[in-house]
Amino acid sequence: MRISLVWKQYDVLVVGSGGAGSNAAETASEMGASVLVVTKDPLSASDTKISEGIATVRASGSEDDTEDTLSENLLLAGGDLPDANITSAFARDSQMAYDKVRANGLRPKISAITKNPDPLPLPMGGHTKRRSIGHKNSGVAFGHANWNSIVKDTKIDYKEDCWLVDIITGNNKDDTKSIVGALIYDAQRGELLAVVCASIVVASGGLSTIYFPKTDTMRGNTGDSYAIAARAGAELVDMEQIQFLPFCLTSPPAFEGLLGGEPVTASYLGVLRDKNKKVILDGVYLRTRAECSAAIMKAVEDGRGTKNGGAYLDMTANKKAPKSGVYFMNFLKGSLPSAYNNVRQAMSKSEAQCEDLWEVRPSAHYMMGGIRVDENCRSIGGSEGLKNNGILGLFAAGQAMGGLFGANRLGSTSLTEGAVFGQRAGKNAAHHARNISGMNPLNKKLFMEKAKKVNSLIGQKGHLHASRIKLSVQKKCWENLGPIRDEVRLNKTKLFISKTRKKLKNVKISNSTKWNQGLIEYLELENMIDTAELMAIAALERNGSLGGHVRADCPNISLFSKPYSTIVRFVNNGVNVARLPRQQTEFKKLIKFKFEEQKKFLGAKILRLMPMILKDRVLEKRYKKIMNIQKPSITVQPGSVEAAFGDRKIL
Amino acid sequence: MTKKETRDRQYLNVTIVTHSEGKDMPVNFKYKKRHDREKPMALDVLLQAQETKLPDLAFRYGCRARNCGVCTIDINGLPRIACRSVVRENDKLKAMSTLPVITDLVVRRDQISRQLRGKIYRNSGGNDLNVDASEDYHELTSCIECYACLHNCPMHQKNSIDQSESNESYEYGNPFSLLKLQTIVMDPVSSNSQKNDAITQAVNLGLDTCLNCPGCKCGIGIDLKGKVVDPLITASKKIADEQF
Repeated sequence: MRISLVWKQYDVLVVGSGGAGSNAAETASEMGASVLVVTKDPLSASDTKISEGIATVRASGSEDDTEDTLSENLLLAGGDLPDANITSAFARDSQMAYDKVRANGLRPKISAITKNPDPLPLPMGGHTKRRSIGHKNSGVAFGHANWNSIVKDTKIDYKEDCWLVDIITGNNKDDTKSIVGALIYDAQRGELLAVVCASIVVASGGLSTIYFPKTDTMRGNTGDSYAIAARAGAELVDMEQIQFLPFCLTSPPAFEGLLGGEPVTASYLGVLRDKNKKVILDGVYLRTRAECSAAIMKAVEDGRGTKNGGAYLDMTANKKAPKSGVYFMNFLKGSLPSAYNNVRQAMSKSEAQCEDLWEVRPSAHYMMGGIRVDENCRSIGGSEGLKNNGILGLFAAGQAMGGLFGANRLGSTSLTEGAVFGQRAGKNAAHHARNISGMNPLNKKLFMEKAKKVNSLIGQKGHLHASRIKLSVQKKCWENLGPIRDEVRLNKTKLFISKTRKKLKNVKISNSTKWNQGLIEYLELENMIDTAELMAIAALERNGSLGGHVRADCPNISLFSKPYSTIVRFVNNGVNVARLPRQQTEFKKLIKFKFEEQKKFLGAKILRLMPMILKDRVLEKRYKKIMNIQKPSITVQPGSVEAAFGDRKIL
Repeated sequence: MTKKETRDRQYLNVTIVTHSEGKDMPVNFKYKKRHDREKPMALDVLLQAQETKLPDLAFRYGCRARNCGVCTIDINGLPRIACRSVVRENDKLKAMSTLPVITDLVVRRDQISRQLRGKIYRNSGGNDLNVDASEDYHELTSCIECYACLHNCPMHQKNSIDQSESNESYEYGNPFSLLKLQTIVMDPVSSNSQKNDAITQAVNLGLDTCLNCPGCKCGIGIDLKGKVVDPLITASKKIADEQF
C-alpha cells in the first residue's frame, strides 16, 4: 500500500469539534469513556463559532416558561414535523446544557435583579417567552468554550486535519447492524487511521456548501454528516428542509452569499423589485423567507433577474419618510449589526444608506433535516412502534441530526441544540460502549477493504479534477435543488448526479500521501453528491410547499393537513423513500395561531394603504416603541423567525 | 488606451508560493478581475487559482467573514487573514512562516493547542457561574485564533519549527497561549488557585522572554501587551515575591 494504515482503539469516536462535537466529547469522557475527536477543520472552527451567539435557555426570562411551552413553540414553528420526544428533550435539558458550556468559560451578562443570565428584552419570533440569551463576541465566545472543553481534558485525544472516509459496520445475528469503527484519512500525517470503536457520534455539521458561494456558513459543510451516516445504512429525515436566507449579498466575490438583511429589517415599507424596477413582492417584512426567496428566484427564472442572478430590495421609502426615516436607519443598523457591517463594506455609500436599491439573492443557512435519531441521539429506523432497527452505536447531534426543527427553525435554538444533543449523544455513546456485551471479534478485513479503496485512489490517473467537478455540482444544486424546485428540476438533479458519479473514476489524484488536496476534494465531492441525491429524492416525495421547501409546481401544504416527515435511505440499488406520519397539534391551538397571524396581516395592509403623512406618523411611533424597549439595540438573529415575521404563518 | 494598458487593468499579477515535499515552488498567477475596479481579497485570488491554473492548490478557509480564523497566510512576509486582505500587484502569497508547512499554504496548527492540554479550565464545574465578567475578559474572548500573533514573537521563535512528527506540542508559548491563560486569570468564576495555576503555566511557557520584548501584534486588534502580557508579568512577579 502507498499509504500506511495505523490502528487505534477507543470507546467513542466523535466526528467534528463544533458545538455538538465538543459537548459530546466532554460528556463521554466524563462518563469514563476513552474518546477520540477527529475534525477536518481546526479545533472548534465551526458554524457555532461564526454564529450570532444567541442561545435559547428555557425559563431564563420567566418562571412560568414550562417545558411544554417551549416544546410546543418548536412543534408549531416546525409545522408539526419535529419529533415531540426530541423537542421535549430540548426543553428539559436547555438550562443544564447551557450551564455546562458556561463552566468552560462562556460568560453572559448577569442581571442585577435576578442574579441570572439576562435574556433579550423581547421574546424572539415564534418563542412565546423571553428565553434567548445573547453573548459578547457572538459565536466566537462559544468557540472558546468549545475549544476549552476538548483541550482541558487530557483523556480526550483529538486530531485535526482528518477526513472521515467511511463508517464501518458489522451485521448482527438478528439482522441489525452495529458500529465496528471508522476509516479516517489523516492529511496532516499522511496516513489512514483504522479506528476500532463501539460508538460513533456524528457531529460534522450541515450541507450548505453544496450551494457555495450562495451560503453564509463554513466552507466545511459538504454534507459529510449525512453522507457518511447514509452510506453506513442510516435513515435520514426531512432532507428537503433547508433554510435559505433571502437577502444575502451578490458581490463583490469576497462578500458573495453573506447576510445583508432579513425580512424584518426591510421594515414596514420595504419591497422587492426585478431588474426593470417593477415590484415583485410587497409587504416584505411580513413575508416568510421562503416567499421572499421564491419571488427572487421566480424573477430570475423569467429573465427579470439582476446582473448577478438576484433581485433588488428597495428600502428607499422607509428612508425617505420625513420623520420615521431616521428611526428606520437606526433600526436597520442596530437590529442586525453583523449583516449591516457586510453591507457597509460590500456596497456603495448610497446603497448602504438605503438611498439606492440593494441587489440581493438567497443563501443557504441551515439544514433542518438530518440523521434520524431518537431523543437520546441514537440512530433509529423503521416505522413508528416497530423495533428500533437503526445502527447500534451510531449517534448524531447538532446540525447533523434531524427531528428537532422539521420545516422551520426558531431563532437562537441551534446553539442550544448543539449543547443539549451533543451532551446527550456523548452520554449515550459512552453508555453504549460500556454496556455492549461481547463485541463481535474484530474483523480487520472490513477495514482493509475500505483502505484498499482509498489506496487505489491515491495516484489515480485521469483528466478531471475533483475541485472543478465540485463547482459544477454547486452550480447545478443551486439551479435545480435550491430555494425553488419542481419535478422537472429535481429529476434533472438525479440525472446530473448519476452522470457525475460516473466521472469519479476519471478524477486525477496525485501520488502524495500527506495533505493530498486532490484526495480531499474527491472525498468531499463524494459526500456532496450522496447528500444531493438524498435531498432530491426527499424533495420529490414532498409534493407541496412547506417551510424551507418550495415547490413551484405544487400548492402549499395546509397547516390543517395530516403532517408527515420524509425518510430517505440508501438501499442496494438506489434510494428508498417513505413518509413517516407525525402527531398533529390540537385543532384549537392551530386555529388560534392562524387567527393571530391574519390579524397582523390585515394591520399591515391597512398601513400600506394610508397616505404618506399619516403613515409617517404611525411609523415614527412604532419605531420609537421598539427602539425604547430594546436598549441599547435590537438584536435579530439571522435565521430566526423573528427576523422574518412571515415565517410564523408557514404552512 | 493601449492594448497593454487595457489588459493590465483586467489582470492582477500575483505570486503564489506552493509547497510540496519540503520544497517551495513559486507560481506566477494572473488574477482575472471581474471588473476594472475590483479589489480582490487574497482568498478570491486563491479560489480563482484553484478554479483555473492550480486545481489541487491547498489552502485553508472557512467563513469568509473574518470570524473563524483559519485562513491566515503570509502576504509579502506578513501574516494576514486571507478573506479580508486586499491583494495588490506583485504581492506574494505564501504559507505562514511561523508554523510548519504541510502542503502549499496549509500549515500545521495543533501543536499550539496541545501546549495547553490539561492546563485550562480544570474542575471549574462547581463554582458559581452567575458572576458578570469584565470588559477585559470579553476583549480576550474576541480572539478568533488566527495565529497572526506568532509573527516575530521571540518566545515562539525559541521552538524549533520543524516538521518532525514527534513534535506534538511546542515547549515555548506564544501570545495566543498566554491569552488563553490570562482569560482564566480574568475569569470571575476562576478560583484563586486556578488563577495562580494559569500564571505559573505562563511562566513555564517562557513568560520571561516577554520582559525584553517591545510587544506583540494581534490580527484583529486585541491589546496583547496591555491586556495579556503585562498583567501576567505583574502577577507572576507578585507570586514570586510572596513565595520569597
